[in-house]
Amino acid sequence: MSQVQARFFTENKKYLIDDVPFSIPAASEVADLSGVINKLLEAKNGQDLQDFLKVIFQKLCGIYYLETWDKTEVVEIEYVEKFTAPQPEECIMHDDWISSVEADSEWILTGSYDKTARIWSMEGKAVMTVAGHTDVVKDVAWVKRSFSHSLLLTASLDQTIMLWEWNSERNKVEARHCCRGHAGSVDTVAVDPTRTKFCSGSWDKMLKIWSAVPTVEEDEIEEPNRPRKKQKTEQMGLTRTPLMTFSGHNEAVSSVLWMDAEELCSASWDHTIRLWDAETGEQKSTLTGSKVFNSISYSPLCRRLASGSTDRHVRLWDPRSKDGSLVLLSLTSHNGWVTAVRWSPSHEHQLVSGSLDNVVKLWDTRSCKAPLYDLAAHEDKILCVDWTENGLILSGGADNKLYTYRYSTCVSDAGA
Amino acid sequence: VSDSNFSLLVFITFSVRSQDIRNTVGNIPMEWYKDYPHIGYDLEGKKIFKPIRNKDELDEFLDKMENPDYWRTVQDKMTGADIRLSDEQVDLVHRLQQGKFGDVNFNEYEPAIDFFSNEVMIHPVTNRPQDKRSFIPSLIEKEKVGKLVHAIKMGWIKPRRPKETTPQYYDLWAKEDPNSILGRHKMHVPAPKMKLPGHEESYNPPPEYLLSEEERLAWEQQDPEYRKLSFLPQKFACLRAVPAYSRFIHERFERCLDLYLCPRQRKMRVNVNPEDLIPKLPKPKDLQPFPTTQSLVYRGHSSLVRSISVSPSGQWLVSGSDDCTVRFWEVSTARCLKTVEVGGAVKGVAWNPNPSICLVAVSYDDTVVLLNPGLGDRLVCTATDQLISSYEEPEEVMDQSVQWAVAEGEGHEQGHRLILKHPKTVRQVTWHGKGDYLACVMPDNGSSLQVVIHQVSKRRTQNPFRKNKGLVQCVSFHPIRPYFFVATQRYVRVYNLIKQELTKKLMANCKWISSMAIHPGGDNVICGSYDCRLAWFDLDLSTKPYKVLRHHKKALRSVAYHRHYPLFASGSDDGSVIVCHGMVYNDLLQNPLIVPVKVLKGHTITHDLGVLDVTFHPTQPWVFSSGADGTVRLFT
Repeated sequence: MSQVQARFFTENKKYLIDDVPFSIPAASEVADLSGVINKLLEAKNGQDLQDFLKVIFQKLCGIYYLETWDKTEVVEIEYVEKFTAPQPEECIMHDDWISSVEADSEWILTGSYDKTARIWSMEGKAVMTVAGHTDVVKDVAWVKRSFSHSLLLTASLDQTIMLWEWNSERNKVEARHCCRGHAGSVDTVAVDPTRTKFCSGSWDKMLKIWSAVPTVEEDEIEEPNRPRKKQKTEQMGLTRTPLMTFSGHNEAVSSVLWMDAEELCSASWDHTIRLWDAETGEQKSTLTGSKVFNSISYSPLCRRLASGSTDRHVRLWDPRSKDGSLVLLSLTSHNGWVTAVRWSPSHEHQLVSGSLDNVVKLWDTRSCKAPLYDLAAHEDKILCVDWTENGLILSGGADNKLYTYRYSTCVSDAGA
Repeated sequence: VSDSNFSLLVFITFSVRSQDIRNTVGNIPMEWYKDYPHIGYDLEGKKIFKPIRNKDELDEFLDKMENPDYWRTVQDKMTGADIRLSDEQVDLVHRLQQGKFGDVNFNEYEPAIDFFSNEVMIHPVTNRPQDKRSFIPSLIEKEKVGKLVHAIKMGWIKPRRPKETTPQYYDLWAKEDPNSILGRHKMHVPAPKMKLPGHEESYNPPPEYLLSEEERLAWEQQDPEYRKLSFLPQKFACLRAVPAYSRFIHERFERCLDLYLCPRQRKMRVNVNPEDLIPKLPKPKDLQPFPTTQSLVYRGHSSLVRSISVSPSGQWLVSGSDDCTVRFWEVSTARCLKTVEVGGAVKGVAWNPNPSICLVAVSYDDTVVLLNPGLGDRLVCTATDQLISSYEEPEEVMDQSVQWAVAEGEGHEQGHRLILKHPKTVRQVTWHGKGDYLACVMPDNGSSLQVVIHQVSKRRTQNPFRKNKGLVQCVSFHPIRPYFFVATQRYVRVYNLIKQELTKKLMANCKWISSMAIHPGGDNVICGSYDCRLAWFDLDLSTKPYKVLRHHKKALRSVAYHRHYPLFASGSDDGSVIVCHGMVYNDLLQNPLIVPVKVLKGHTITHDLGVLDVTFHPTQPWVFSSGADGTVRLFT
């Protein structure tokens, strides 16, 4: 059996081992390598630390290609702590397809094709049904969470966005505002970091910015000749008109997000991702791809954009780069369109992606050839994924089920 | 001189002395005296007689037997006397015979002494002092070297010419132009062959070759140039009776003229590799984007899906099926948003191409229903409803073959707006690009009412053709100009709607056209046929197909062009959709480039039917196909 010279390195100071090359069999698997590293760590730290350091090491960059390496070179292998696999927690049944999901530390908000949005507790208990839209709810977002009064947004195919106020003590939901102005289905909403504004993207190629602060006054409606609509607005909330409209996309806007308080990012069916100045409405830059974008996600930790398009790849972009190759990496393992991507809020290398091939994949950007974990729980197309601050991955899809997975990064990771 | 040489000399003197006495004849061949009794003359002039030799053979023999010295007795030819050789002489003879020196003591291998060697002796052989010129530089040489140096300086001579390593040969044909030789070889024209003699030249031709009396007269009256034969066939009884040929010189002269005047021309035969004649097509990889994989399957219909259509925005898809339903789908998620039931198996659906009108035409049985699906912009939907309801009945009621009715009740709830009752089964519906006119096909052989054009805003129906030739298969409006395409079984007729005349008649070269699509530019048409062919017509080029593609194994059911991308697709009964790159250039001189790029498979064949309809997404390079398996598939 051929041997390969390998040098192990890590960024975590706690698990440093001597920087000398080791000769390992070329056919080593991940388990063999982690065994080697565990042995080394044990020898270094002595017997008494053994129990404390029962760390299992996990997938390494390029490990699958160890056999193809030049035998004379020293392979650089980075090792990181193994994260335990995501544990499925809850399976929340819905009445219809789940189009969108957003969760915070306490409540899960889902939008569904049965024209309602729902609020669930972490244990999977239905808390509230937000009904009021006349068509499919396409996207949902939390605006503000406080102990009793929360604000949430629902965007729908009926061309409106509704701002709801939810009183969790009395468990009542009230439509505060109905945001009218789009001339197509509203596919995406995003709330800005200051929680006072939100942006919506629609099939009518427009981006609109709205105020997210509930008021008691109704915005002036441009068209006064709407006698029939007037009655509806009583129960649907006060009509609100956009603060600003950005036009520039040539096709439907599929995903929108705030990079920071001043900068907006939108992805569209016209194969572009555009960055906008939220104050002036100026278009800052354009990233051009070759396929329709379904979803984008931005991680402030690594300052990268991840995009899912109508092909099999998850692509990572550097939104700041002005020249050179815009796509930094392609993560390829899905077999269908990537419909949803979401960065980990706490880890700069990890992201989760959902696809039409019914699989949710958890990726580490350091190993772009294969995902860390495949979460194959769904029986139909996945339409949305989310990842909360407290390590919960959620995915919903066309099988009417919302799955939650507990995925804890190690305690030691935070200290390092 | 050594001792041995001396003895040799003695021997010679001895023999010479005895000869001197006797030989008086000189140095002549002795056989001249062979027949004489004497040899020469003495001083007195008397003959010197040979010793008398009267020995005969017997004596000779006896002598040989008895005389012990016989073997050493030799005859002296000079005198004729017998001489008995002494022992020394015998010895000498032996030595000479062995090729040795005559003298026993002579050493032929004595060491040689090199007197004039290259070694410089202390005592030179000559004591001559060295010449002066041997130690002063030569003026002549200096002059010569000076000249050479000057010449080199002036560049007259090159100091060292590079050695030519290649061997040099005299190239015999170097000066000759290779093309001229080749040309000469090529241009060789063989001499025209003389006609071989036939039966009429025979001295005894068969009687049918002999001319009759009238023929002979006619021959004689003819101008010699126009005569078929230059001579009169004659019959002779035997070869002997044939006289000398009087026209011999004349004919030889004519032959020389022929050779001299024979045309020095040559037909060029072109040797072409058939591979080179095939045009170089670009690789499909370079022609992206085009659909490559199946991405979504729209499931829900329980029977075959005959027709599909995409909304102008590209957000919705409508499909009509044999299970008497029309379904509306969200393109991006394959979600069925709406199902509308109609009263029969749906033959055709068509979404109004005008983005400001939200209407879908659905044909089943003998009815065409205009549906408002209520999808897309609310304002557009309400505007469409208003447009339909704002219709005012004209004062003069026209007699129309089609009855227009407004849907009410449950039908209206479902989205039915207008119901058009036709006299016959409607097979196809298609909209004009502006979205006001709607053409319907009711195939019926021999009937005058096969194609009708409805105007939705005025609720009027026209029958554009007084007479239809053949069975109309499908019709289509020109995307830009007021032309109307009507495809019958074998021909596509292009009508000018303003001038009301036939502009063109395209011959499809196939047995039965099934479908037709017009390029968005309007100058190209593709036709699919039931005999597995797809014909591309360039209307500017000719009425015959510019290209015929036979990629499908079974009958084609549907063809479609993409609105923006240079793509077209064909769906067939073999369950596959073939996507081709069809680039049309603005340059009139450049022919369209057609490259098949992808075979898309996915539909299962049910009841021998595969793909029934294909259509492209209006903005993306995506193709939808509907099949007999009840599914609609999206390939991206």
